[in-house]
Amino acid sequence: MLPFKLPPQILRLVLVAMAIVGSYFVARSFLVPPSFGQYGWYRGAALAEIASREPVFAGKQSCDECHSDILHKLAKDAHKTLSCEGCHGVSREHGNNPDILPVKSTGSHCIRCHEANLARPTWLKQIVVKDHYGPKCTECHLPHQPTKSP
Amino acid sequence: MKNQINRRSSLLRMGGALAGLLTLSAAKTAKAAVQTVFVSTSAPKGYDPTKHKWLMCIDDNKCIGCGLCAEACKKENGVPEGPYFRTWIERYIIPKPKPGSGETRGEAIVDSPNGGIPKGGVSAFPEPTLPKDQIEHAFFVPKLCNLCENPPCVQVCPVGATFKAPDGAVLIDPKYCIGCAFCVQACPYGARFLNPVTKTAEKCSLCYHRITRNLKPACVEICPAEARIFGDLNNLHADDPIQKFYEKNRVQVLKPHLGTEPRVLYAALDKEVR
Repeated sequence: MLPFKLPPQILRLVLVAMAIVGSYFVARSFLVPPSFGQYGWYRGAALAEIASREPVFAGKQSCDECHSDILHKLAKDAHKTLSCEGCHGVSREHGNNPDILPVKSTGSHCIRCHEANLARPTWLKQIVVKDHYGPKCTECHLPHQPTKSP
Repeated sequence: MKNQINRRSSLLRMGGALAGLLTLSAAKTAKAAVQTVFVSTSAPKGYDPTKHKWLMCIDDNKCIGCGLCAEACKKENGVPEGPYFRTWIERYIIPKPKPGSGETRGEAIVDSPNGGIPKGGVSAFPEPTLPKDQIEHAFFVPKLCNLCENPPCVQVCPVGATFKAPDGAVLIDPKYCIGCAFCVQACPYGARFLNPVTKTAEKCSLCYHRITRNLKPACVEICPAEARIFGDLNNLHADDPIQKFYEKNRVQVLKPHLGTEPRVLYAALDKEVR
């Protein structure tokens, strides 16, 4: 084989080095997840895992399935940009089972946006609540059609 | 005759091969057992991250500071109670310059009590301490992860737990995160925090579980003023809100000098906003 005899200490050194490198590759094959490097220097399966969580908010489209009449009214008036769940709360359960009613929205939802504030843009209609008439917003204003009165 | 095959040597060889096979299969099952930790479960089908490029636009003329976005984000993502926010609203108050100081404007006062979410009361933001006649103007700015093209948070992660997905979302792999908080310090926009429950880093994921199901992120869904506009750069259609936003506004990003190249674009931003 070799024209000279390999000194035993060198042979041992080579074997030990090979064992170290070999054990590294064995450990690597065990510990690196299969999808690592699928898209880059990270676990590709993490994307699907992060995406697997169930959404909480149902979204305006699902409200439209049953309440299209209200949404139709809404779309014609100043509140057209509002999302249903902004005032009515998370309604995913209500969508799956209509018997579970969403949270009742109150006047605090109105003043959350319409209470006068210096930092609010001037295009937004604002009131100083304590100087404004009335105990109840809905006495004079329709939330779904804010420019109309009941 | 050294190489003659006899019963002893062939038995030895067969035994060796059998032992090798057994250890191989044992190693395979062991490897599978180790890696079940990483196997994903139910994910929305039919989503290809390489076919999208998400971006968020914020029209700051429209933000009314109601805090619905920050509140919705907390509900949608199960963010723990307390000062932990994936998105939040800041209020900037620019005072008038002191007379005779030669300045064009005073120094901005920035606050974000409870991330802009009203606590029991009507508004999270108390009346400014400055009298009205000393304020030049005031405005709200929604903040979130800036979806950097060159995210500094990803560069510093020592374990490869945070990454920029091919669709542009900067995400965190909670199974890999060791909670060292390097990324929290690296983010120039302060968009990250350590979750006190899981002890891992957390940030806006663009509601990845929603956008992969063709839903809008919770903050965009809930915003009553359409201040947040969300879209896909790779699939723009003619009357896309993103397209309209580009046509109507002059846009800028936060801290452009850092070279992070954010994909959160702001319209009508004041120079004080960082």
